[in-house]
Amino acid sequence: MKLPVLALLLGALAGCATAPAPIGTAIPAAKLDSTVVPNQTTRAQMLAALGPTKFVHFDSGHEVWLYQSPADGGRFSEFVVLVDPAGVVRKTRRRAPSLP
Amino acid sequence: MRRLFRSWFVVAAVAPCALAAHAQTAQPPMQTVIVKNTRDPVDKSYRKMVKGMDRFARDHALAPQAELRFRLLPRLPNADMRGITLRIAGDTTSQVLPVAPDNSFTLVRNEQLLREDAAVLANRKTASMTWRASIVSPGVPEGKRRLGDLRLECKVGMDAGLISNTSPMFAWLSDALTSTEAVCGQPDGNYVFFAERPIFSVTLRAGDRTDVLPFKMLYAGGGKAPDELPYCDCQVLLDRSYYAPIWDASWPDDTLVEFEYMTDAPGAAP
Repeated sequence: MKLPVLALLLGALAGCATAPAPIGTAIPAAKLDSTVVPNQTTRAQMLAALGPTKFVHFDSGHEVWLYQSPADGGRFSEFVVLVDPAGVVRKTRRRAPSLP
Repeated sequence: MRRLFRSWFVVAAVAPCALAAHAQTAQPPMQTVIVKNTRDPVDKSYRKMVKGMDRFARDHALAPQAELRFRLLPRLPNADMRGITLRIAGDTTSQVLPVAPDNSFTLVRNEQLLREDAAVLANRKTASMTWRASIVSPGVPEGKRRLGDLRLECKVGMDAGLISNTSPMFAWLSDALTSTEAVCGQPDGNYVFFAERPIFSVTLRAGDRTDVLPFKMLYAGGGKAPDELPYCDCQVLLDRSYYAPIWDASWPDDTLVEFEYMTDAPGAAP
C-alpha cells in the first residue's frame, strides 16, 4: 500500500477517535451544597443559579450534570447531579479532589 | 471465508466476458453450484472466538473459580432481545448453540467447524447487537463485579474479536492497529464494560482502600457526541457503561467494583 494512501486512512481513522470530554464548570463547593438539593431543586433552577456545564442526556430521559469545585494544590472535586426525566434533581455525589 | 470472497471476485470479474461470449456462440448447459451456508462478513468468526477460549484457559488465574460464557447485548434502540437463536455455520456443517434467558451462551471446540472457518450467527441483524465475554466468579455479591473477572473479560473479548467501535469502513484497519495488550493493559485502552442497570456512581473497594471512578470513566468517557454514538457499541447502553482500571496493578484481582444505580431495582421497597 502506498504511503499517502495509508496516511489518508490513518488520518480518517484518527478522526473517529473521541476527543477528551470538557471538564465541568467550576463552582465553589459551598454554593453547590446550598443550591442543589435532591428531590427539590429542578433542572431550570440549577441552570439559573449555576450556569451551564457538562452534561449527558440518556434515552431514558435521565441526565447527569458535572460541576467541579476548586480545591488545594490545583486539584478539583467532582460534583455530579442526577436529574430525572421530569427535570427534578434526584441524587448528588461528590468525588474527592484530584488533579484535572 | 477468504476463499469465498476470492471466488466471488473472480465471478464478478469474468461475468461481463461470459455474457459477451454467450451473445455470440451457443454454450453448454450452465453448471449449478450449491452453497449450503451464506455468511455475513461481519458475523463473528468461530476461529477468533475459540482464540478467546484459549485466552481464558491461559489466563484463568485472573478468575480461577469462574467459567467462560459469552453474552449478547442490545446495540440499537429497536433491538428485540427476546427469542434469539444462535448457530455456528461452516461450509458443510452447522451447530445450534443454546441461548440462556440472559442471552448468554457457551461455545465448544469443534475441529471440523474450525477447519471450515465457521461463523457464529444470530437470527438478528448483526449491527443490532453487541457481544461480550461474561466471566463472573461465584460468590460475588449482587450489584458488584470482581476486577480480575473484568480483566479476563477484556482479554477474552479482544482475542475473540467481539468488539467493533469504529466505522465499518475502517474496522479492518482498527483491528490491525489495536492489540489485546494495548486495550486491556493501558490507561487509554478504554474497553467498555456494562452494568446490569443505569449507573450513577462506581466505587472500587480492596480492603480499606476505596476510590470512586471519575466522571470521565463513566458513560463511555463522559458521554459521546450524537454523531459518534453509532460507532460505539455502547449506543443504547450508554447509561450502563463504564471503564474499569484493569490496567492498574495496584488494584488486586479480588477488588470489588460496586455500583450505585440511578434508580432502585424494580420491585424494591421504597
